[in-house]
Amino acid sequence: MAIVNLQNITYKYPLTDVPVLKNINLQIEEGQFAAVVGPNGAGKSTLCYTLAGFVPHFFKGELTGSVEVAGMESSQSTLDEWVLNVGLAFQNPFNQISGAKYTVFEELAFGLENIGVPRDEMKARVTNAMDLTGISDLANRSPYSLSGGQQQRVALASILVMQPKVLVLDEPTSQMDPIGTREVFGVIRKMAEQGMTVILVEHKVEWIAQFADRVIALRDGHILLDGTPSEVLTSPILEESGFGISRYTSVARKAQGLGLWKRDRLPVTLDEAVEGFSLSPSVPSSSQSLKGGGEQLS
Amino acid sequence: MHERLSFFVKRDSPIHRLNPMTKVVLALSLVLIAFSSPWYWTPQAIFLLAIIPLTFIARVVKEYWSFFLKVILPTVSFLFVMQALFLPGESRIIFEIFGLEVTELSAQLAFRNATRIAVMVSSFTILLLTTHPSELMSDLTRRGLPGQFAYVIIASLQIIPQMQAKAQTIISAQRSRGLDTQSSFFRRVGAIVPLVGPLVFGSLVEVEERAIAIEARGFTSTRAKTSFHEIPDPSSERVIRWLLIFLVIISLALKLWLS
Amino acid sequence: MQNVAMQNKRSDSWLNIKKDFNTMTWVLMPVAIAINMAVGQIVATLRLPVYLDSIGTVLVGVICGPWAGALTGALANTILGLTINPDFLPWWPVAAVIGLVSGICANYGLFKSWWGVVVSGFIIALAAAISSVPISLLVYGGITTGGTGLITAYLVETGRGIVQAVFASSFLTEPVDKITTAMLAFAIIQGLSKRFLARFPRAENVETDEKISQTQLIIAVAVVILLILFAIFLLGRLTGA
Repeated sequence: MAIVNLQNITYKYPLTDVPVLKNINLQIEEGQFAAVVGPNGAGKSTLCYTLAGFVPHFFKGELTGSVEVAGMESSQSTLDEWVLNVGLAFQNPFNQISGAKYTVFEELAFGLENIGVPRDEMKARVTNAMDLTGISDLANRSPYSLSGGQQQRVALASILVMQPKVLVLDEPTSQMDPIGTREVFGVIRKMAEQGMTVILVEHKVEWIAQFADRVIALRDGHILLDGTPSEVLTSPILEESGFGISRYTSVARKAQGLGLWKRDRLPVTLDEAVEGFSLSPSVPSSSQSLKGGGEQLS
Repeated sequence: MHERLSFFVKRDSPIHRLNPMTKVVLALSLVLIAFSSPWYWTPQAIFLLAIIPLTFIARVVKEYWSFFLKVILPTVSFLFVMQALFLPGESRIIFEIFGLEVTELSAQLAFRNATRIAVMVSSFTILLLTTHPSELMSDLTRRGLPGQFAYVIIASLQIIPQMQAKAQTIISAQRSRGLDTQSSFFRRVGAIVPLVGPLVFGSLVEVEERAIAIEARGFTSTRAKTSFHEIPDPSSERVIRWLLIFLVIISLALKLWLS
Repeated sequence: MQNVAMQNKRSDSWLNIKKDFNTMTWVLMPVAIAINMAVGQIVATLRLPVYLDSIGTVLVGVICGPWAGALTGALANTILGLTINPDFLPWWPVAAVIGLVSGICANYGLFKSWWGVVVSGFIIALAAAISSVPISLLVYGGITTGGTGLITAYLVETGRGIVQAVFASSFLTEPVDKITTAMLAFAIIQGLSKRFLARFPRAENVETDEKISQTQLIIAVAVVILLILFAIFLLGRLTGA
């Protein structure tokens, strides 16, 4: 059963003439982990806002088509109902700190206080969310004293604590350093493995290729491609458009042109690249060095 | 600069343990009685018999007196001098300096007004020294203060120091680029834009995303709110509060009756 | 077919309190309060003869509405008064009036041109001066701390009645401060994108079809200078025989 069902969605922000989303049709099954890629201005953030109910209820503007998520329908539900079922986190961790609380524990409880969750359940949910995101040792710190990666995990935990049915993440690692990125991806992967429906907008295609069930490529407000990571990320259409390409795919494509990549399917991840190159019989004797990383191929 | 903007000092004292509302009512009562009571010596009495003992009971003596000496005393002394010298009224002149006269009446009124202000600021200071802002807001919200008000107050307390730090950074940065706070008037006026601009626009940009973030956490939910903090409110304190309100009413009534 | 219409462009009556408050308003308010304080601090560091500590309040009043502005002013003075400088504390009604009046002026279209902004500044100053009189008298017996108090004191010494003196002294210091405040708030609004402003409840207060021209700005500054000269003249008259 599709937990997300967008039909013929076209959306224009107020005071603008050009729609940002054009005739989007998208169904996502419950428990699926879908990644969204696309160049800047493609409408990825707007798509996230639409899934999270902020389009149209927060941004106003003109929305045509039907948006159904987790049993709610856009024209029937209000934003405060919508956020109970769909969680949204975005790039800047600092801006996601409410400012209303002095400790991380209370910050996580903020949302639950707002929706009237009883005190005991609040404590349980917060403790659980902190375990999931690995921030239990930060419980009594001020959210403002944390690193970017820690703050982003607090933001994620604040959303998870609301127990949404769908998690929408708009480039959550764009402002992170490598450690922060790893921490955040770790949480996302855990949620996906636990059966959460996750929609993740990301540029780091190599990670997506490893863990996402599905990749949707967006451009100019249209869905360009929609399929499995290997289908989408190695597609020549993507290559033409110039985004969402993994280094390994580019390298292998060049090798293919030189007759050095014998497989039909191009690799997206390092593992796939290594596997694909090392099985090729016509590779010269330096196959030892190739096992260390496909980039060695000139 | 403090990392967060609050007076609160964590101590174990009877005052700290009081319900926040009781402390609020106490502070307001002291202020209202000091300002409305028709008896001349009220503010002074309150200061000696209520404020000072309270600082001891609440174990915030050092913090209170430090604040008193640094902030309250200078303000109140200046006020006293100004009022003593300039308040109009016909009465015996007790002091004269540079052609300005201090009359008996003006000295009395100045002393009363100065003490009133001292009582007002002191009451609130003691309240803030003994009550954590989160707890105060939680309690007020439970009693009906809209959650949004509590949000604005706590967020201000956290954002103001951040803004102060930002302002300092921008001032230093501009200073290293040649800004001179000793230079001519027009140069200083011109300096407003490169100082205020980045500060203001930088902070306004955050507003939209933060609004989305708190909406995502049910900020506009119409459900009845619950509170993470459990704040006890024994019935003995309820009695105390009503008693204080009663005293305020008497004070106001006396003032109206005698005027 | 689902169609969510854009916000109604017609300016709703300023008496509609609820309209002023959406989530953006609540998030803007603490930032505005912090702006009040930070700009006031910068101005003090620059040792300029103005306060400019209500820019945030005016900003909220204009783009959110008079009641949001009033609340911002009241909370700003209360918070700053309780935590940084107790001098602020008794003046919270004046701060509330500043927010309220800026919102009302904006609602009547005065924040759509530099001209209107100068007029608004003047009206705000008038309202601030009038509302400070009762507080000044009630709390301080008419002689306040700070520069305004000194002027009052001087006027009293030269034989004016206390009420007259208080009113007159506020009336001289307020216009320069408030007109500059209004102009700075307006300049800030000009620098914000339309898309951003559209999120606030009363963005229609600052909707203009053409860009604000340089000549308008020059005229506005000239008017301010004339006003300052006029104020100096008034002071001379008041202290004369």
